Amino acid sequence: MKRVITISLNGNAYQLEESGYEAMRAYLDVASTRLKDNPDRDEIISDLEQAIAEKCGRFLGPNKTVVSTTEVERILAEMGPVDSPAADTGPAASPSGSASGGHADGAPKRLYQIKEGAMVSGVCNGFAAYFNVDVTLVRLVFVLLTLLTGGVWILVYLVMMFVIPRASTSEEHAAAHGQPFNASELIERAKKQYEDFRSSHNWRKAQTEWRGRLREQQRRWRHQQREWRRRWRDSWDWEGRSYWRAPVDRPPPSYATRVIAGFMIPVFAILSAALFVIWLVMLISLASTGSILGWHLPHDVPVWAGILILVLIYTAVSGPLHMARRASLYAASGRPYGWYGFGDGVIRLGFIVLFLWVAYHFVPGVHELIDRLPDLWQTVTHEATTTAMNWLN
Amino acid sequence: MTIDDKFSSIRKGLLEFLILKIIAADKVYVADIIERLSSTDFSTQEGTLYPLLSKLRREDLLDYEWKESEAGPPRKYYKLTAKGKAQLAELNRYWKHINATVQSLGPSS
Repeated sequence: MKRVITISLNGNAYQLEESGYEAMRAYLDVASTRLKDNPDRDEIISDLEQAIAEKCGRFLGPNKTVVSTTEVERILAEMGPVDSPAADTGPAASPSGSASGGHADGAPKRLYQIKEGAMVSGVCNGFAAYFNVDVTLVRLVFVLLTLLTGGVWILVYLVMMFVIPRASTSEEHAAAHGQPFNASELIERAKKQYEDFRSSHNWRKAQTEWRGRLREQQRRWRHQQREWRRRWRDSWDWEGRSYWRAPVDRPPPSYATRVIAGFMIPVFAILSAALFVIWLVMLISLASTGSILGWHLPHDVPVWAGILILVLIYTAVSGPLHMARRASLYAASGRPYGWYGFGDGVIRLGFIVLFLWVAYHFVPGVHELIDRLPDLWQTVTHEATTTAMNWLN
Repeated sequence: MTIDDKFSSIRKGLLEFLILKIIAADKVYVADIIERLSSTDFSTQEGTLYPLLSKLRREDLLDYEWKESEAGPPRKYYKLTAKGKAQLAELNRYWKHINATVQSLGPSS
């Protein structure tokens, strides 16, 4: 039994064996990279998809609905590697394209965490790949920095663990190593980016733009989140056969998205922890004194209704926050669960404890409230049992 | 180095010319072009052809129109623009000129 993947090629659905799908996706990814500077890239990709689709059609019939891996390989061999004519037609080709990057394979070098051979999380490994130096040297520098900063560097390391995306695909690994490191090129690039930034933006504009982008990103994360849930459900088909709808039209999150997402994970965790603690204190306060930190409910609203309203408000506020957290986890790690989820949970729990501790010691009223909790518990259980007894009798 | 290798860049350079010739003869679909070239020394593949066609279209030498097909989605049929025809005529002239030059220089066999 083999897993089958349904894809949409230029608007038509085809079913491929899983490894065949991988091969096809790799082919289209490479094509997309090679045509990076081509203004007609999208059109050419869609042409290629249609050509592949027609070739797939050749292998399908009324009694055969799945294209096998060997068939996909034959199709891709027939298609041949995608050329970029701009690159090899000599002087007529755009001179700006070759001057700007200077990268042989067109993939810019980027900082990633590399898990293979990592001691903790792969941050040092990623730096070593980025600067093309031995990883031991990077580790020594990190240890030295930790000693010099009195341990603060560990915090920096933790931040980097979240913010620097992890290399999971082969392209990302290639991008992590990129070209041999060259200091003058790095300085040139930094200068150019600074110039670009200065010439095209003023700060305020950049800020609003960033905010807009973030909102857009959040919307997309939420969408992705829903998509993930749907696929998760779909992949556990009751027959045991799983149909994995491949997101041909939706590329994986970009590097920038993953950096922002990694940055947002702890922010969301702190927000959600704070919200939880505030809600908890309000709830305890309402249940034990009938008022929320000094603010009394209107006379005609009973306490249980107040609690219900509080729960509803909390659900309404924390729901989107929860979604945003999960979405940023997914965007940062490229997976819905795993290491990031665990880290996120730990951070959130830690902050809940911290906030509770702060509230207990520094917010007037909270101290007494929490001290009164055992009494409250007794009252509630006592009342519940008497009500139940009364009702039974 | 085989003969084949020695002429590989020439074949590559001539591909554009040949494609213009094929399209000039008839409105064609990409699979037709590949079919026409498959039995020749210039056989090519989609991966090469689509980017090349898109380049020619950007240079305004050819254009396409969508046509319904009985099997599957509509297809792109390519044809030459006026500029493409003019360029093809020029290329033809130049090709004859090169041929004559090759013939005239030294023994041909």
